[in-house]
Amino acid sequence: MKYIAEVDGLDFPVEILDEHHVRFGEEILEFDLAAVSGQPLYSLIVNNESFEGYVYPDEGSWQVLLLGRSYSVNIEDEREKRLRRSENGNILPDHEFTLRAPMPGLAVVVMVHEGQLVEKGQILAILESMKMQNELRSPFSGTVVRVRIKAGESVEQKQVLLSIVPDVSSPSKH
Amino acid sequence: MFKKILIANRGEIAVRVLRACRELGIKTIAVYSEADRQALHVRFADEAYLLGSSPAGESYLRGDRMIDIARKAGADAIHPGYGFLAERADFAADCADAGLVFIGPKASSIAAMGDKAVARTTVARAGVTIVPGTEGEGPLRDEELLALAPKIGFPLLIKATSGGGGKGMRDVFSIEDMPGLLQSARREAKSSFGDGNVYLEKLVEGAHHIEFQIMADQFGNVIHLGERECSIQRRHQKLIEESPSPYLADDESLRQRMGAVAIQAARAVDYANAGTIEFLVDKDRNFFFLEMNTRLQVEHPVTESVTGMDIVAEQIRVAFGLPLSRVQDNIRCRGAAIECRINAEDPYNNFMPSTGRITLIQPPTGPGVRIDTGIYAGFEVSPYYDPLITKMIVWGETRPQAIVRMRRALEEYRIVGIRTNIPFHQTMMDTYPFISGKYDTRFVEEQFSMIDAAENRELYLDIAALMATLVAHGQMEHRSQVYRRNDSSSIWKWFPRLGRQNR
Repeated sequence: MKYIAEVDGLDFPVEILDEHHVRFGEEILEFDLAAVSGQPLYSLIVNNESFEGYVYPDEGSWQVLLLGRSYSVNIEDEREKRLRRSENGNILPDHEFTLRAPMPGLAVVVMVHEGQLVEKGQILAILESMKMQNELRSPFSGTVVRVRIKAGESVEQKQVLLSIVPDVSSPSKH
Repeated sequence: MFKKILIANRGEIAVRVLRACRELGIKTIAVYSEADRQALHVRFADEAYLLGSSPAGESYLRGDRMIDIARKAGADAIHPGYGFLAERADFAADCADAGLVFIGPKASSIAAMGDKAVARTTVARAGVTIVPGTEGEGPLRDEELLALAPKIGFPLLIKATSGGGGKGMRDVFSIEDMPGLLQSARREAKSSFGDGNVYLEKLVEGAHHIEFQIMADQFGNVIHLGERECSIQRRHQKLIEESPSPYLADDESLRQRMGAVAIQAARAVDYANAGTIEFLVDKDRNFFFLEMNTRLQVEHPVTESVTGMDIVAEQIRVAFGLPLSRVQDNIRCRGAAIECRINAEDPYNNFMPSTGRITLIQPPTGPGVRIDTGIYAGFEVSPYYDPLITKMIVWGETRPQAIVRMRRALEEYRIVGIRTNIPFHQTMMDTYPFISGKYDTRFVEEQFSMIDAAENRELYLDIAALMATLVAHGQMEHRSQVYRRNDSSSIWKWFPRLGRQNR
């Protein structure tokens, strides 16, 4: 199987040859990968060099925590890569934005109501978690179309709080 | 000595106090909320009592229940740890009324230092310099504060009158920003402390936050155990502490003067037991009294490491009525100690709190490393309590050795299942201002960035790419195998064997 791993804007072609060999660019490397105690913590020995990293999926990409640094890796197999290139990669930001709770907590204040116009950076709600109050702000100017929480309610992580449709005159839209 | 002590706290500090009790041969009573049934402090204790449901207001803040349990269980003393009831004068007084020894200062000392206005007036009267502010005016309305602000001068700080831990605190750089910041500070103060009153204080620029550990017995003996540098802070929350302070360095005369003032401030409120005097030291080495914490501090282990004194054991002895085990001349600080507070926060995502189940912990061990913790594999980090989950303290013969050791230990520490700020600490240990000891309280927020600081480090883009690809490939392979077998429920059992399975 052939993959292309993209990290920091660099593409690394990776072809898995068998369970201990991989073609990495031009080179053929010998490797052994083991999950430590069945956890997403991986010990990788590659050409006898030993590495340990914490690898977990995050919103479509893979996060690798390795030697005190976090890397965001996008992996596609060749077919996916070609497909995406043919779409010339243009996604318009015209769909509505859904504000999700970045962490579990308590909605202390909901500052907006449905139909309200909001500015970019305006505070939408305040979420309290671990004794700190966190201000959740609007990423752009637009109109609040749905509010799904009330002040005083507990929310789960990633729970939908409200949605905003970008302003039509917003310069971010072509 | 006491026979039995109730520990009115949770997490790493409850475990810390428990350890001191065990070493002194004292029986321990743990209390816990529903969320903490399986917590380490509950499992390590001789007895354990349920307090109530998970929110602190229904459990760890219920002084009345603590006292009921202590009496029922036959405890002779209560150790409050830090946070929760530790600085509540009414709780200390209630303990005394119930015939229980509160392991801490007298209620009157807590009250005197807890009200910032009284504290500052008291120490100012004793001849200690304080940072200019409005706390002496009593509770003020927004209009009054806005009128006073230009007289103090910008930048300034809005602080909660009953505050602590950076909550209800805002930096103000101009009068225009002030109304909004006042509003948010009051709101946070109200929800954290039940009191929305705030005051203004001059923001000392280029300041170092340096504090002195005090120990006092009931015979009027007061000593200090040297200083701790606590200037690595974010949103006024300390992240790294060390002793000795690289800013004071070998300025022994300044250290002696500050230590003497700290003792003087403690005497001014007739202090007994462990306490901390916090100072701000400006760029010209002038120092100002900030406040006194009338309790054990989170960062007490750095002082323990350099002085060799078990501060918690000493607290217990002193509370029992024994004299201090050492005199000032016998306090010698040796080597250098650094503490990193490991929080359940994601440094790559604006330090957002992270909750969930910890699935694996691999703690560092080896020379000079100490871990104070309340977590274990399987522990659920809940949103109910503080994000501090564990503290790592290292000691070295010199500060450079301590830094190298901290780097080594941070790299060994694996906490899987939640995000932690370990990468923040790793980055900090590689940052020039930290290594050279040239940092002040604004450093983290104004000059430090995870991305810029990481630029000097060796990159492993290729290894990261390879590792992620192998993991992703393994998961896709297993998924397709499982689908072929038409048994999607067994998908999870394939994960542990990732990468080693025959095709």
